[in-house]
Amino acid sequence: MSRLLSSASLLRRDPRLLKVPPYLSLLCVVIGIAWLLLLPLDDYSRKTYISENALLPGQVHTYFAGSDQNVFRGYKREVDALEDRSNIEVNDKLEEFFKASGLKVARQRYEYKSAGETYAGENIYAILHAPRGDATEAIVLVGAWRNVDGVLNRSGVALVLTLARYFKRWSLWSKDIIFLISADSRAGPQAWVDAYHDTHQSPSIESLPLKSGALQGAVVIDYPFDHRFESLHVVYDGINGQLPNLDLLNTVVAIASGQMGIPTSLQQMWQHSDTYKDRLQTMLRGMLNQGLGHASGPHSSFIPYHVDAITLQPYGEGWQDEMAMGRVIESTFRSLNNLLEHLHQSFFFYLLMQANRFVSIGTYLPSAMLVAVNFTIMAIFLWLKSGSPVEKKKPSPSALIREKPLAQIQGMDDVKAKALIPEDTLTVRERELFLPLSVVAGSQFLGVLPLYIFNHTSEQMLTPVFAIFAILNSIFPYILSTALIRYFSPTTQQYQLIKSFSLLLLGMFLSALATLNFSLAFLVGLFAAPLTYVEPFPRRPITTVGFALLLSLLAPTVVLLAGTYYWQLGVAEVLKEAAFGWDVWGMNTQVVVWCVWWPSWVVGMILLFGRPREEGTDGKKVAS
Amino acid sequence: MLLSLLFLIGSLATTIAISALADSHSDYHEQLLLRPLHPSLLLASFNFQSNTSLTSFNQQNFRYFPRSLGQILQHANTRELHLRFSLGRWDAENWGARPWGGAREGGTGVELWAWVEAETDDEADQRWLTLTNALSGLFCASLNFIDSTRTTRPVVSFHPSGNHSNSTLSNLHLLHGTLPREVVCTENLTPFLKLLPCKGKAGISSLLDGHKLFDASWQSMSIDVRPICSPGADDCQLQITQTIDMVLDLQRSKRPRDNPIPRPVPQEELKCDTSKPYHSDDTCFPLDAASQEEEFSLSHIFGHSLRGTCPLANDGAPSVCINVPHAREVYASEGAREEKDSSGYMRCFQLSPDKDFDMVLPQQEISEKAPLAQPLLYAERSFIGYGQERGGVQAILTNPSPTDAVDFVYMESLPWFMKLYLHTLKAKINGQDKDTIKEMYYRPALDRKRGTQLEVRILIPANSTLVLTYDFEKAILRYTEYPPDANRGFDIAPAVITIGDVSIRTTSLLLPLPTPDFSMPYNVIILTSTVMALSFGFIFNLLVRRFVAMDEADQWDVRAIRLKFAATIRRLARRFKKYEKIQKTE
Repeated sequence: MSRLLSSASLLRRDPRLLKVPPYLSLLCVVIGIAWLLLLPLDDYSRKTYISENALLPGQVHTYFAGSDQNVFRGYKREVDALEDRSNIEVNDKLEEFFKASGLKVARQRYEYKSAGETYAGENIYAILHAPRGDATEAIVLVGAWRNVDGVLNRSGVALVLTLARYFKRWSLWSKDIIFLISADSRAGPQAWVDAYHDTHQSPSIESLPLKSGALQGAVVIDYPFDHRFESLHVVYDGINGQLPNLDLLNTVVAIASGQMGIPTSLQQMWQHSDTYKDRLQTMLRGMLNQGLGHASGPHSSFIPYHVDAITLQPYGEGWQDEMAMGRVIESTFRSLNNLLEHLHQSFFFYLLMQANRFVSIGTYLPSAMLVAVNFTIMAIFLWLKSGSPVEKKKPSPSALIREKPLAQIQGMDDVKAKALIPEDTLTVRERELFLPLSVVAGSQFLGVLPLYIFNHTSEQMLTPVFAIFAILNSIFPYILSTALIRYFSPTTQQYQLIKSFSLLLLGMFLSALATLNFSLAFLVGLFAAPLTYVEPFPRRPITTVGFALLLSLLAPTVVLLAGTYYWQLGVAEVLKEAAFGWDVWGMNTQVVVWCVWWPSWVVGMILLFGRPREEGTDGKKVAS
Repeated sequence: MLLSLLFLIGSLATTIAISALADSHSDYHEQLLLRPLHPSLLLASFNFQSNTSLTSFNQQNFRYFPRSLGQILQHANTRELHLRFSLGRWDAENWGARPWGGAREGGTGVELWAWVEAETDDEADQRWLTLTNALSGLFCASLNFIDSTRTTRPVVSFHPSGNHSNSTLSNLHLLHGTLPREVVCTENLTPFLKLLPCKGKAGISSLLDGHKLFDASWQSMSIDVRPICSPGADDCQLQITQTIDMVLDLQRSKRPRDNPIPRPVPQEELKCDTSKPYHSDDTCFPLDAASQEEEFSLSHIFGHSLRGTCPLANDGAPSVCINVPHAREVYASEGAREEKDSSGYMRCFQLSPDKDFDMVLPQQEISEKAPLAQPLLYAERSFIGYGQERGGVQAILTNPSPTDAVDFVYMESLPWFMKLYLHTLKAKINGQDKDTIKEMYYRPALDRKRGTQLEVRILIPANSTLVLTYDFEKAILRYTEYPPDANRGFDIAPAVITIGDVSIRTTSLLLPLPTPDFSMPYNVIILTSTVMALSFGFIFNLLVRRFVAMDEADQWDVRAIRLKFAATIRRLARRFKKYEKIQKTE
C-alpha cells in the first residue's frame, strides 16, 4: 500500500502526466459531440413502446361520427360568428353552449404584466363530472381561443364544444373531464393551471370557482383552419425543457397512425424520410426547443405541475376531416380514462428523433456530461499547476540526484517501505486565493445585473438597452482586465487560479443542469468550450487577437444576435418573449445564460487580456 | 319415540306463542319515493324499516330482524350501528338538499360507526375489531381493513340517534371508521338485499338490480340499527332501517341493455334549432332539450316492473310515492290506488298485493316543477399546491341562506402519513380573516398507529363563504406499506360536516405521495432469482449427478437390455438352485 502511495506521489509530478489534461479535456468535448451525433443511428436509439399496459391505445371503437358532424358544423358556424367579438362576449356565448350540454361552467379572469405590457383575458371552462366518479381525478381537453400564432382556433374550439356534448352521453368515464377554452395560448393556460393548484398571484389572477380532482393528463387541440388535413403534428416540449411522459406521446402516435391511419410528425419536420439526416435534424430541433425552455403550446404550462400534456396540430392538405381528429381525441381520452395510476411507467427524459424512435437519458446524458467534465478536468489541472513550483531550467530528476546526493532528497519513512523523492515534488507553493476568489465571485454576482435589466425593461426600451449592453459587453472585460493589471498586477498563479475557479463553477453548474435540462447544458457547454483554453498570451499577440475574435463571436450577446438574425426575428421580440417567460411561465433559461455562461465568458476575456507579473523566486515553500 | 313427538309438538306450540307475542311488537314498512331532478335525472329512495322488541331480540328471537346481523351485534356488544356504502357525488347545486337530510349517507366508499358497550377503551377496541371483521364477512366488503389507523373516536360530530338508558350510556364507546377506497358494487348489494324480509323477490325491493344501481350517478346504501324507547312503554324496540338512494340518469337508464353504446343518433332524429340562419341538412345547432320533461316509466328505468307488494309489510301505508306537481300526468297500472297529497307536489300509490305495478310519465311540456329544498350549506374540498413534499387542503363552505347563520362541526379524519400543521389552519370569511372557529378538538396522529382527527366548530354568517385551509407534509412510507397501485395516490376520506341532524359529506381526495420506482426492486428480484435459479441448478447437478467418461457410460441399446435381462434371469436361477440345494441338504 505504502509502496503504491509513494509511487503515486512520484507519478503525480511526472511531467508527462501533467501534459495530459488539456488533451484529455479536448478529447472529452470531441467525444461528447461525437456521442450526440451517434444517437440517431439504429444501434443507439430505440423504437418507442407503450410501457403502461393500462393505456391500451387504439383498442376501442370510436363512435364520434355521423350526425355529430352536423352538430360540429353548427358549432363552427357559431364560432366563426364570434371571431371579432370581445373575450367576454365570446365567453358568454360559450358558457351558453356548455350549459346546454349539461356541464358546469366557470370562468376565470387573469392579468399578467411583463415588459411593460399587460396580458389580460378570461378563461372559460366546463367540467363533465364522471358519471359514477367522485372528483378525485380529472383529464383536461384544451382548445385555446387563439393559438400560439394568434390565429382563431376555429375548428379546434368547435371540436371541443362538440366533444363536450358527445362525451356527456357516455357513462364509462372514470375521471372528470375538464374542457378549457383559454383566451390565448400563452398566458391563459398558465393562469388556469396556476390557479388550479392555488399557486397563482391573486388578485390579478382569480381563483377558480370550480375544481375537480388531481389532473392526470391534458390534450390540446390546435386546429385553426377549416379544410381537411393530411397529418398530425405533435408538440410536446414543456417549459424549461421538461417533457411529458413518453407514454402519452406514444399513445397518441399509436392511435393516430395505427388506428386512424393519420401520419404523425414532430418538431415541424413536415417531411421525414427516416434517414440519418432527418433523424438528427428532428433531434436537434427538439434540443433547441428544450434548450430555449419556452412554452411551445398551451400544453407546456401543465408539465411543470407533473400533468402530462401535449398539443395536437393537424396540418397539410389531405383527406382527413375534423371528425377523424375528434376520433383521435376520443380514443386518446378513452386510453387516459383507463389509467389506474398516474402516468409513471415510461420515460420523462428522452430525445425523440421520429414519432416512433427515441433515446433515453441513460444513453444521451454522457454527451452533455463529457462536455461539462472537460471544464472540471481543466479546473483540477490548473489547481495542481498553480501549486507546483515555478518552472525553471532544471536538470532531470536523475541528474539532480547524481549532483546533490542527499541535500535535497527526503526519505519517505515508513515501517515497510522507503522511497527517495526529490523534495521539489513534495512542496506546494502557497496559493494566493483572495484575488482569484473575489474576481470570480464578483463576475458571478455581476450576472444578476443583466438578468434584472432584461427582465424589467419595457418593450420599447429593450432594443436600445440591448445595444448599449452589447457594446459595453465587448469593452467591459478589457477595461476590467486593464484595471486588474494596473491595481493588482496578478501573477501567473493568480491567473491560473482565476481560471480554475471559473471553470470549476462552470463544470459544476453544467453537470447539475444536464440532469434537469440536458439540451441547455449541452448548448451552453459547447459555446463555452473555448474558455477551457484561454489564458494570458502576453508575448503572442496573434493568438490573443485570434482568441479575442473567437470569444467575441461566442459572447452570449453575439450568439443571441446571430440567433435572431438566423430565424429572422427582432432582438426586442426575443427579449420580450424571454421576459414574458420569466414573468409568466417561470422560465429560467436566462438565469443560466446570465449567471452561468456570461460570468465565465467575462472571466475568460479578463484572462485573455491579462498580463502576468514577472515572478521572483520568493514564493514561500510549504511542505505538503 | 312418543316422547320426542310430544316434545316437538310442545316446542312448536311455544314457537307459535312467542311469534304471536312478537307479532304485536314487530312490524315492517317499505316505501319507494321518486323525485325527478334537473336535468333528466331521477332520485329513487328506497326505505325499509322494521321494529323488533328488544326483549325478543335478546332472547335470540328474530322475526323481521335479520338473524345474521343480529347475532353479530350481540356478539360484539354493539348497541347502535350505522353502516354506509356510497358511490358518486351529490350535486347540491342542481339537485338541492340531500335525501333524509344527509343522515342516511356516507362518504365515498364504506363508512361505519357504532356505539359499542364496553368497560374500558381496550375492550371497546377489541369489540370493534370483532364487529368490523364480522361485518366484513357479512357484506363482502373490506371492512376488516378498518384498523386502528383508520378508526377515530369523534367527540362532537356524532350523537347516538337511539334511546339508551343512562347506565348503558356511560359505558358506550363511539368508534368511527372509513374506507374511502372501497369500490361499492354488486357483491355488497346481494347481502344487503338478503337482510330484507322479502329478499328482493317482492315489493319495492324487486326493482333493485345491480346493473341499474351501480350505473347511477350517485348512490348510497345504509343500514342503521338503533334502540327506541317510547316514554310510556316498558319495553324498548330495536329498529333496523335499510335505505337505498340513487340518482339515475334517465337517458342512460333507458338505453337498451343489449345496445348500451350511445351512438350518434340518425340525422332525422337530431333535434336542431331550425331558427338558425345556417340550418341545413348537414349543419345543425343542437337544441337544448332541458325545457321538456322526459318520458319514463318504472319498467324502462329499472329494467322490469314492480312485482306486487311484500306480504310482510303490514302497515297498509302506500308503498310508492312520486314527488311531481299534480299537473304532471302519471299513469299507473291497474289495481293501484292513487292518493294525492294536499301540498300539490306529492302523490302516492297503494299497490294491489299480487299484481305487477308499473308507472308511466309521458313526455310533457310543463313549466311547473316540484320545489327543491335548498341545502343548508354547500361544501367543496380540494387539494392545493403541488410537489412531493408538501400540500394543502382547501375547503370552501358557502351558506346560501340570506338570513340565517349556520353553526356546524367540520370533521376531518386524516391518515397518519398526511401530517397536518395545525398552526396553518385558517378560516377566512368572504376573504377576510375572522375569528370564526369556536371550538376545536384535535387528536394528533401517531406514526403507523392512528390518524389525525380534527373537529372544528364554526359559525358561518348568513350569505357568506368560508374558506378553510391548512397545510400538511407528506410522509415517506416504507416500501412495503405502498399498495400495489402506488402511483395512483392515497384516498383521503371525505370531511363530515354536521349541522344538527343534517350532515353533509365532501368528496374524497386523492393524495399523491412520493413513490419509489417500484420497477427497480422488481428488476432486482428478477435478476437475483435468475442468478439463484442458475446457481442452484448448477450445484444441484454437481451434487446428484455422477460424471463418467463417455466410454465408461452404460450403453443403452436393445442388446444391452437383453443381455442384462438374461444375466438377471441367470442370477435368479442360480440363487433358486442354491436354495434348492440347501433344502436338499437339510
